[in-house]
Amino acid sequence: MNLITSIFNKGIETSGIERKRISIPSDIPFSPEVIEKLGVDYFHTARGRAIPFGTGLKLGNPDLRVMPVTGDLMTLGGNHFVHGVRRNMELLVICVNNFIYKKIDGKTAPSTANKFSPYSTFEEPFNFPHLGNSCGAVYTARWTALHAEELAASIAEAITKPGLAVIEIIAPGPNYYTDIDDIDENLLKFYFDNSIIKNDTNPREVGITPEDKIIVGRFTDKKRPTFIDVYNVQLGKTIGEKFTPYGVTQTEKKKSGGSDGGN
Amino acid sequence: MKANPKHVLTGVYYIDGDVASGYGAMAAGCRFIAGYPITPSTEAFEAFCRWGPQVGAMFIQMEDELGSISAVVGAVWSGIKSMTITSGPGYSLMMETIGYGAMLETPFVLLNIQRGGPSTGVPTKTGQADMMQSRWGSHGDYELIAFAPESPQEMFDYTIRAFNLAEKYRCPVMIMSDECVGHMTEKVVIPEADKIDIEPRRFYTGPPEQYLPFKPDPDLVPKMAKAGDGFKLYITGLLHDEKGHPVSNEEYSMKYVKRLVDKIRLNKDKIIELKEENTEDADIVVVSYGISSRVAVKGVEIARQRGIKVGALRLVTVWPFPDEKIAELAKKTKAFVVPEINYGQVVFDVARCVHGQSNIVLVPHGGAGVHNPADIADAIEYAAKTDKQIEGVVEFKTRLEKLVFEGGFKLKE
Repeated sequence: MNLITSIFNKGIETSGIERKRISIPSDIPFSPEVIEKLGVDYFHTARGRAIPFGTGLKLGNPDLRVMPVTGDLMTLGGNHFVHGVRRNMELLVICVNNFIYKKIDGKTAPSTANKFSPYSTFEEPFNFPHLGNSCGAVYTARWTALHAEELAASIAEAITKPGLAVIEIIAPGPNYYTDIDDIDENLLKFYFDNSIIKNDTNPREVGITPEDKIIVGRFTDKKRPTFIDVYNVQLGKTIGEKFTPYGVTQTEKKKSGGSDGGN
Repeated sequence: MKANPKHVLTGVYYIDGDVASGYGAMAAGCRFIAGYPITPSTEAFEAFCRWGPQVGAMFIQMEDELGSISAVVGAVWSGIKSMTITSGPGYSLMMETIGYGAMLETPFVLLNIQRGGPSTGVPTKTGQADMMQSRWGSHGDYELIAFAPESPQEMFDYTIRAFNLAEKYRCPVMIMSDECVGHMTEKVVIPEADKIDIEPRRFYTGPPEQYLPFKPDPDLVPKMAKAGDGFKLYITGLLHDEKGHPVSNEEYSMKYVKRLVDKIRLNKDKIIELKEENTEDADIVVVSYGISSRVAVKGVEIARQRGIKVGALRLVTVWPFPDEKIAELAKKTKAFVVPEINYGQVVFDVARCVHGQSNIVLVPHGGAGVHNPADIADAIEYAAKTDKQIEGVVEFKTRLEKLVFEGGFKLKE
């Protein structure tokens, strides 16, 4: 089992959520062995569509905890991301950022900061936590794959958040078919030397540049009504008594502990 | 299984085809709809959104059609019946995920209210030029089912049938309607719930550790599971084995892709629906679908008044294509006349099945309107009078074409 998925495993374990309730839609191919070990349901979606696929899963059965893990997040999935955050769909979006398209000979990505690309790039990269935060994400954080403890704790915390949470993971080429030993030791050392934990930094200031250290930590933690919350309020208001609130929101779940969503 | 009375708006209505389809989806047990507004399909989405939430269904207006159809596939895997609704450009955007849905053997329904094309085309007027796109639009080999209703009542009936076949064969089902039928307002009778048959999902019921999500039953269709039930589902758009795990060898590719097409092809007789009229002793057979078959009725009537023996074959399901039926008719028919609102799509499949035994006349239309029935009658007459064998498809010159291309047609100043 490789580095990041072992951290996922720990995060899920810590969160105490029943594994069968967790679904991972992802445009990155996980290996079947990894999913078997995680004990979750896994859907390898079309490129960039992990968030809308997750939206369907969540709305179809609100009792699920859905964790889209995306590689093409800000390219093919960019519009889905900003709208998912805007409507505060209950998803934990994991963005695995290795700065490049590792498996396709290192083509540059919208997350590529100059220094990391093999041929360099002249485009400005996205600052994911800032983008997520400014669209209204309830939780944003960034960790490198070296911050195993912190990242696992962050996943455990974010997966129960009512609303859309974003965790950016700076990872050394998330090649799920290679062994941990294959990862370049120098790259790991590079992350170790070049990152600094600064919790609660304004996400605006955490953009990654070739010159500065990568700022990691938890940047946003706030509350906002979720899509299903506002859907129920609005339809309840307009339809009146005939309307049965859809699904089970986080607060109701604590009270009743059940759902009629998908059963 | 019968429909849930809560979902069926029993009664007699005067509504358009779009709305009828929305009501049909509700009656069929659809619990989730994701869409993006696009003329002329929006009324169907609206109809579902108005009544669905009152009986426990959910709707969402997504950011685009890529998101809509992905959410629909996701919702199906969460265990509920789902559909999306679109037209023209939106349909093109959905193509990748239609193939993804077919690869995952995901049952969902897509309502396409065809409009004039290509590109943005004529959003408010009709067309039938997406027919081949519905069959071949996504990359790779797959088979699916497509209906072409011709009235609001059929929009209701065949939306239910589309859901039933989607569940039965675990494949995407298209309702290839068009602007005319979508916006046509007629009497629609919605029967009592106990008169409506519903195909429930084929859920797997054995122990989770023995479940193979892509192990087919004898009819080539596998049983389904849903997320959240502890199956540790591994579902991928990559070529996969019975467990769902990725494989990439050519032997397996052949086996899997063949099953994807065979589960429809070998069950064709149970899927295909045709309406045949006076074809037994006909010299000419008019093959049509959707709105064009409504117009063709009048054309056939005129031709009969002129003393020509005409029969009509209406394709209620366009895909899979009724190869055998056309081939059988070709043995005794002098010519086929195919009116469609495009410059030749389904007509070439007719030609394929006729195999040079009869003449084939296409009555084309450029879109944004329907045929003049007199053109269909004239095409029938032309076919009846032509005794020599003509190779390929003859394109009949309609009145509108003569007007447009041979002078006399002036744009309003």
